[in-house]
Amino acid sequence: MIGNVANLTRWEWFKLRRRWMLWILLVFAILFAQLAVWGQFFSYQNLQTTGGELTVPASLQQQQGRAPRTVACNDLLSGVASRQPADLDPQVVAGLAAQCRQQAATLPARLGRAYQGFTLPGSVSTALGIVQTLALILIAILTASAIGIDYGAGTLRSALTQGIGRWPYLTAKVITIAIIALLGLVVALGTVAISSVIATAIAGAAPPTGATTATWSDAGIALWKAWSSVLPYVALTTFVTVVARSSAAGMAIGLGYYFAEQLIVALFSNLFSWFQNVADFFLVRNISGWTGGSGGLAGGTLPDQTHAILVLAVYTLVLGGIAFWLFERRDVQGATGGG
Amino acid sequence: MNSQNGHVIETTELTKRYGDVVAVDRLTLRVPRGGVFGFLGPNGSGKTTTMGMLLGLVHPTSGEARIFGDPARHPATLRRVGAMVETPTFYPYLSGRANLLYFQGIGRRGTPADVDRLLELVDLGKRAESKYSTYSLGMKQRLGIACALLGDPELVFLDEPTNGLDPAGVVEVRELIRDLGKGGRTVILSSHLLAETELVCDNVAVLSRGKLIAQGSIQELLRQHDGLRLRTTDDSKARALLAGMRWVEHVEHQDGGLMVTASQARAWEISRELALQQVYVNELTPVHRSLEEFFMEITGTDPATGKERS
Repeated sequence: MIGNVANLTRWEWFKLRRRWMLWILLVFAILFAQLAVWGQFFSYQNLQTTGGELTVPASLQQQQGRAPRTVACNDLLSGVASRQPADLDPQVVAGLAAQCRQQAATLPARLGRAYQGFTLPGSVSTALGIVQTLALILIAILTASAIGIDYGAGTLRSALTQGIGRWPYLTAKVITIAIIALLGLVVALGTVAISSVIATAIAGAAPPTGATTATWSDAGIALWKAWSSVLPYVALTTFVTVVARSSAAGMAIGLGYYFAEQLIVALFSNLFSWFQNVADFFLVRNISGWTGGSGGLAGGTLPDQTHAILVLAVYTLVLGGIAFWLFERRDVQGATGGG
Repeated sequence: MNSQNGHVIETTELTKRYGDVVAVDRLTLRVPRGGVFGFLGPNGSGKTTTMGMLLGLVHPTSGEARIFGDPARHPATLRRVGAMVETPTFYPYLSGRANLLYFQGIGRRGTPADVDRLLELVDLGKRAESKYSTYSLGMKQRLGIACALLGDPELVFLDEPTNGLDPAGVVEVRELIRDLGKGGRTVILSSHLLAETELVCDNVAVLSRGKLIAQGSIQELLRQHDGLRLRTTDDSKARALLAGMRWVEHVEHQDGGLMVTASQARAWEISRELALQQVYVNELTPVHRSLEEFFMEITGTDPATGKERS
């Protein structure tokens, strides 16, 4: 059984690696991870140059009808006349300078946090925070495609007549997707590491308060959480694809569910206070709770990690169990996806 | 009976229902080992559903299906079976060669070297690296046949293997099927091209509306349904007399005479019985039926269209 699944997993990889989709999805993951690192880098550079920025609303500007503009605290606090905003009322400038003086107290800490965001190992957590959401969607697309193609092209029939068994076949697909998810995250983080080294070299030494508090252990935990949070989403997409015998349905749910759940929680939590308790058992909310993400559109307090991992385990087992049961039990018919 | 007694396929009361529709109705079938076995029936007669149940793709509602004496859907049993059921299905983005390598790999059937040998066998060697999506229907059929032969299986199911092939291809595939049926291997051939079937099959089973209506060697079945063309001094009286004879299966007026379905060995008895009743035979000609005529007679349908005869 294990040998059969291992062999099928190898051949599933043989198939998947020949699809453009896999590599396009990986490029997306890498681009988003890079966005996280370089976004932090430019944010740090900007903070260092400007000392922080304040936005001046249109109503405080002398010349009416202008768009809101930003002013740099370093300019305001420099005392140099040429660096003061000439088009603002002196009283407004004085107020802004007072705000800047308040912010200056927290500037070193903010610089430190920004520095950690693009230097190793802190950049790993930063990148995972961004890639996490995207990874769910990308993996949902890959799962729906890998499982659904056998219905669409009718190849399920050809495969199952090889005497490989239904459970091993679906198991191998899910294992391959889980491995690809892990490898995808590792590759994306590998490119993050390279970018971090480059960005650190450009940025130079850490700011005085920039001694990193992030550890490699934190980075490892973040990677584990990011990967494990993908599994219930793989189970959801597998379930929908098998039930509907269609990759399109799997992709639609994979893409739509993430946002639909947040919209529903946001809407109903505002209407009914008790709904927050129900929402604590929703999939995406628990993924956010497990990975330490934000509440998204819905906001509010996320479930704690123990609650989240238990709920996610139940989702994975129930959705995956039904998908496997149906896959084993149903007749395979028709050449074009009757499945 | 089991496979050791010479049957590679045995079904007992095998039934498949889809709601109120009975696709296969208590089918009890024995397929002897070796040779080419024709599996015939009009569209919707239950051939593909039966093959699906034998290959573990369709769950029977009741009854039993065994291959080589073991439960048909068991993976170990299926590893000894090759199949091309309905239209061939492969991954469109993979080449023909990659598709075969994949199926060889997942089923652990033979070696990768067999893939190239089989591609040559079905005349796809030159297009082996082309994507499956670029193949013509005939090429897809050839690839399907190659896939069914991976691992040199003891039992091969071929469902309409000549679909989409040009006349030369049909002849090649016919020869291939004939060769496959030699040396102890069994080929189950499902086809609506009955002339082709008659040329390559040793035995046939005919299904109609989910039921088995005839099974045996082609010669035997056709002999049973051979007939005699008869002209007499009084055809109406002759017909009435013949209809009363228990060994006459059927008698009807045809082409200004009578067509009698009965063993040709009984010709002298017909002549004698009619003469005893003062009806004299002017012409008595043996008529040999083709498989197609036999099929149309027992199923009441046209084999090509599956429509009922008018």
